[in-house]
Amino acid sequence: MSRKEHPVWEEELMPYVDGQLDAEAASNIEEHLEECQQCSKRVADTRRLSQQMATWQVEDPSENMGARVFGSAAPKDRSSRRWGWFTNRQSWMYGVAGATAALALIAVGISLLRPPTRDEGTSSTTMSWAKTTDNSGPGAAYHYEVQAPSQQGQGQGQQGSLGRLQTEQAKQQRQQRPPGDLRESFELEQDQNGTRPPAGPMVIRTANLRILTKEFDSARARIQAIVQQAQGYLDQMTVRGETGLGRYLSATLRLPSDRLDSGLTELRKLGKVLEESQGSSDVTSQYVDLQARLNNARSTEQRLLALQRERTDKLIDVVSVEREISRVREEIERMEAQRKDVFSKTQYATIIVEVSEEYRAEIQPSAPASGTQLRNALIDGYHGALGSVLALAMLILRYGPALLLWLAVLLPVAFLIRRRLRSLIRAN
Amino acid sequence: MKSDEQLMLEYQGGSKPAFAELFERYRSPVYGFFRRRLNNAARAEELAQETFIVILRGSEQYEPTARFRTYMYAIALKQLWTERRKEVREHRLVKLPQEDKFETDPATGLWIRGALEQLDPDYREVLMLREYEQLSYDEIAEVLAVPINTVRSRLSRARGELKALLESQSAKGVSQ
Repeated sequence: MSRKEHPVWEEELMPYVDGQLDAEAASNIEEHLEECQQCSKRVADTRRLSQQMATWQVEDPSENMGARVFGSAAPKDRSSRRWGWFTNRQSWMYGVAGATAALALIAVGISLLRPPTRDEGTSSTTMSWAKTTDNSGPGAAYHYEVQAPSQQGQGQGQQGSLGRLQTEQAKQQRQQRPPGDLRESFELEQDQNGTRPPAGPMVIRTANLRILTKEFDSARARIQAIVQQAQGYLDQMTVRGETGLGRYLSATLRLPSDRLDSGLTELRKLGKVLEESQGSSDVTSQYVDLQARLNNARSTEQRLLALQRERTDKLIDVVSVEREISRVREEIERMEAQRKDVFSKTQYATIIVEVSEEYRAEIQPSAPASGTQLRNALIDGYHGALGSVLALAMLILRYGPALLLWLAVLLPVAFLIRRRLRSLIRAN
Repeated sequence: MKSDEQLMLEYQGGSKPAFAELFERYRSPVYGFFRRRLNNAARAEELAQETFIVILRGSEQYEPTARFRTYMYAIALKQLWTERRKEVREHRLVKLPQEDKFETDPATGLWIRGALEQLDPDYREVLMLREYEQLSYDEIAEVLAVPINTVRSRLSRARGELKALLESQSAKGVSQ
């Protein structure tokens, strides 16, 4: 039936029966109903059907239905209210996402916390060899080490152990020193607890020398001779040599301050001086100040000790005096160490000398045969392919868990945002 | 009398009596919503309680742009769908248990209920929301997330089918 033959469709009668039409549309339908018996019957049937449906009544809920509802409202926890929408939607999905995230986090944590193995520590670094020694005598032992430039921490650790070794050797050296040298006066000064004021200005002297030499081996021996001659000591020495480059020596010499100039003169004879610099720092006021503070602290300590002997009434007072004595003693020890350090630096000048060998390139042997070159190329190619596969695997292992973690965290969030946007669009 | 939306806003501002009033207004309708759709009266009451609890907990999410009734029945429908999924999972979907009694006019109630059970679920839901929850066409469209013309056509077909079912049942009764 077309719209011309019958101006009201059956579906349009429903909104009329349900009161969902505006006044004008409702009056149009009413006009039509006066003329159309079929539609009038349909409206009457619909109204009767509604009445029939209304006969299905349900009982009222129990009186205590509100108890649980208001019980849950009692705490009115803001956080739970805010996330209520979250917890009520397919909590299993968030559980799975949370568990995945936790697993990924644990995997990343384990990979980060696991200490690097020896293989990891030495891979992907260019190797060079170096030998470091205190070099305090011609018979001193050399310590070879493999240093990887990118493993700074490891290198420092090794240097630390070498430093300790050097300190032990320096101690032995000091025990073998002849009596009457300047260090003896230093030790005497230490025995007097720093109460004696300095006779003149206290100056810390330093010098830097950079030398280029053709005779590297003799230069190293000459440095040791200069130190012995000046009655100083070798604080540190490092010798390094790399293939295709000249050798290199770096040494820190501690010479008595009054013998610094003669020592420098001797050192300049080692080769061609590329760079030289000298400096000094007056620490008289610092030393005097330290000494005064030290004296004060010692006086305080004496007074506290006297107080400790006299006051024996209350335990709390005794304990507080003991605590104060302990604090003052700690302070005295710290200042004492500082004073000794300053004094030592003024008594011994520091010379940092760097000696580089003038490198002479060796005549290269004849090039290998073509077959050897091809074989070497093949082996290099194999190593390269293996390396790239390993690098890819390491990349996946290194960043895979983190990527999984972020996916597990972000996907539910993106899903929720999408749902929220959809519901907002639908609401609008 | 304050509107539902005003009461909800007052509750958002911290007024507990406002929510108590809302609860009194809708405790029976929400219970009726679940009772007509589930076989178990106790479970219907639990779900009605849960609906109000969700409204309470999510009250900060409520915006007055949405009508409270629409908001409330949308939550109730989600609870119902979750319950039905659970029933299917647990294989405890039982149709029309004979022991279920209604306080008023049980014969008519069961007759209507039986006919409604035979309707297509989409048609049945639209018809029930209109007849029992008294939602407008706009509200039904919003709650079910369907266009309003779909609501009209479904309602018309649902009524037509229900009428035919009731007539056939009536004819059977007469013949018996």
